[in-house]
Amino acid sequence: MSGEPVIKVRNLVKRYGELVAVNAVSFEVAKGEIFGLLGPNGAGKTTTISILSCITPPTSGSAMVSGIDVVTDSLTARSKIGVVPQEIALYPTLSARDNLMFWGRMYGLPDRTLTRRVDELLSIVQLSDRASSRIDTFSGGMKRRINIAAGLLHRPDVLFLDEPTVGIDPQTRRNILDLIKELNAEGLTILYTTHYLEEAEFLCDRVGIMDEGKMIAVGTRDELTESIGATGVIAVRADGLNDALIDWLAALPAVSKVARSEDGLTLNVVRGADLLPTVVEKLAGSGVDIHSLDVTVPNLESVFLHLTGRRLDEEHDEKS
Amino acid sequence: MRALYIALKDLKMRLRDRNTLVMMLLLPVGMTAIIGFAFGGESGISTVEFLLVAPEEGGFLAEAAAGLLSHHELFDVERATEEEARRAVAAGEKSAAVVIPEGLLDSVLTGAPAEVRVLLDPASNIKAGIVQSMIEQFISYLSAGSAVGRGVFETLDRAEPLGDSEHLALWGWMFMWMRDAWTEPPVSLDTSTTDTDDLNVHAYFAPGFAVLFLLFTMLASAKTIHEERESGTYERLMAAPLSKTSIIAGKMTGSYVLAAIQILTLIALGGLLFGIKWGSHPGATIIMALVTAAGATSLAMLIAAAARTGRQTDSVGTAIILVMSLMGGSMWPIEQAPEAFQRFGRFTFNYWAHSGFKKLVFDDAGLAGITQEISIICAMSAVFVVVAVLLLSRRRI
Repeated sequence: MSGEPVIKVRNLVKRYGELVAVNAVSFEVAKGEIFGLLGPNGAGKTTTISILSCITPPTSGSAMVSGIDVVTDSLTARSKIGVVPQEIALYPTLSARDNLMFWGRMYGLPDRTLTRRVDELLSIVQLSDRASSRIDTFSGGMKRRINIAAGLLHRPDVLFLDEPTVGIDPQTRRNILDLIKELNAEGLTILYTTHYLEEAEFLCDRVGIMDEGKMIAVGTRDELTESIGATGVIAVRADGLNDALIDWLAALPAVSKVARSEDGLTLNVVRGADLLPTVVEKLAGSGVDIHSLDVTVPNLESVFLHLTGRRLDEEHDEKS
Repeated sequence: MRALYIALKDLKMRLRDRNTLVMMLLLPVGMTAIIGFAFGGESGISTVEFLLVAPEEGGFLAEAAAGLLSHHELFDVERATEEEARRAVAAGEKSAAVVIPEGLLDSVLTGAPAEVRVLLDPASNIKAGIVQSMIEQFISYLSAGSAVGRGVFETLDRAEPLGDSEHLALWGWMFMWMRDAWTEPPVSLDTSTTDTDDLNVHAYFAPGFAVLFLLFTMLASAKTIHEERESGTYERLMAAPLSKTSIIAGKMTGSYVLAAIQILTLIALGGLLFGIKWGSHPGATIIMALVTAAGATSLAMLIAAAARTGRQTDSVGTAIILVMSLMGGSMWPIEQAPEAFQRFGRFTFNYWAHSGFKKLVFDDAGLAGITQEISIICAMSAVFVVVAVLLLSRRRI
């Protein structure tokens, strides 16, 4: 992690009777970072975000947002945070504009400033033309976009997004992920919870993997995959390979193993994608005729499987 | 200020909801119209028709009684046999029948006991009640006339015995005196049944149904506390920099303004559609309406605060409202219930709200006349609000 931390969480615990929903969780999120909380349902992601949003008090531990303690100074902390709940937290019979005006007023924004901000956000989420339409006439994706806009009205230091793509179609999901990327590109720090691996990999600079209330790993995707010794595979189909080339490839620090096959070779590598240009350049420069290249990269699924012994989507598969 | 925005948002949402508008205005007006017609026919009772059963031998007194009763502008009297009368009342063709026994004349002249029976149609209980009340009054005059007449004749007979024709003439005078005393009593009790303007059946039921549906509207409004939680907007409200007290105050204020709009609109519609005169003290009527709105709002808020879900608010709240409305006289004339039942009814908000409006309409009471009702409803509201706020503050809504 680089940069000043906007979120600091230390030994956060939340108990509901015998159940420990969040168990000694610690992590930090730097300014301008997208930090993902990844884990299956019931892992403690939503409870963590709920504590950070000042909605649920922790049993013990501390949490700071922009240097403000969310427990002892929750009113100030709340003004620094934008929250996008998992549900469409909007009033269905009010228009998009009325909803945004209402939520802006809840943050104490004066009407003139608020009107400008609402126009701006409607434009960002590309719904200016539907500003006067009632929310219950919107598609799922449009509702999700307004739901996100409602969390941005007061220009928060950090935006908490709790599984904002649950139950929507792939195209809408992609649009929302792009919107989040755009917001982050403008400097917004984002804490994003999800149980979708591909979302965490696509969006997040760093990921905290949670399971059964505990934070079991934190880092970038590469750091996490490296930490468990997972390797990627580059499979090359080519003519003209020779032993000298194979020895050269085997000597590369990122390559852990080289194996010849009938129509080419296979390299086990730590960072397959990073190494690919080097491999291609060397082979092409040595007069090798490359027919195809196939890169298999280790992902967060491998990390979760390694750490818990379960697949992340196991629970969902069982349920479905 | 933020509480006010929550109230305005709630108000806007409720007033845009067709179901709310139906519950607020259409149902109470419709029910008042239907039940009013069922109980009393026209909006004002101009006459009460009933049958008089009198024996052939008792003709003189029966004729005199019919004359006396017919003399009152409220009554339209027809003669019938007892069998015809029973059949007509049982069939609901007549509200009541009065059966004058044989020997009534002798009883009046001699003071021997006699019994006048009144047959009543229970389905037409207001008109039947009027007949019963007036016949009771008539009998008390008859009894008084009999006692006075016999005393006078005895005194006169002692001085100089009178002949039959003189007796007859004197009894004729006595009946004329009784008629005058009955129709224009020197000392009168101002009751609602002697003035046709006051007999607007809709005026009796309109406040009852207004209170009943006010409670239902408020229940739906209070239920939004749970709806906010279930839809996730409560979570978002809690994440905003405002206190829980502001949220509760906002929800209550929105509900109260809605209640005030509903009850004042229903009062206006009652005047326009049913010709109800809400008394000659508009200030008292408005205060009574606003206090009633406060009572309904706080009661509904308490029910919602005690319930765990919106669904529970609906089911438990509906049961409570219906029982209270039955016991408190919002749905029927509780005056006809046994005294013990009426005593229980006094523990309900509905009873005091209805009582206050009845005093405004039927007694033309001013603010001083409804002080008891206003005080009791205010006290109830204060208790309801305090308990509701405590419940809502202690746990997550």
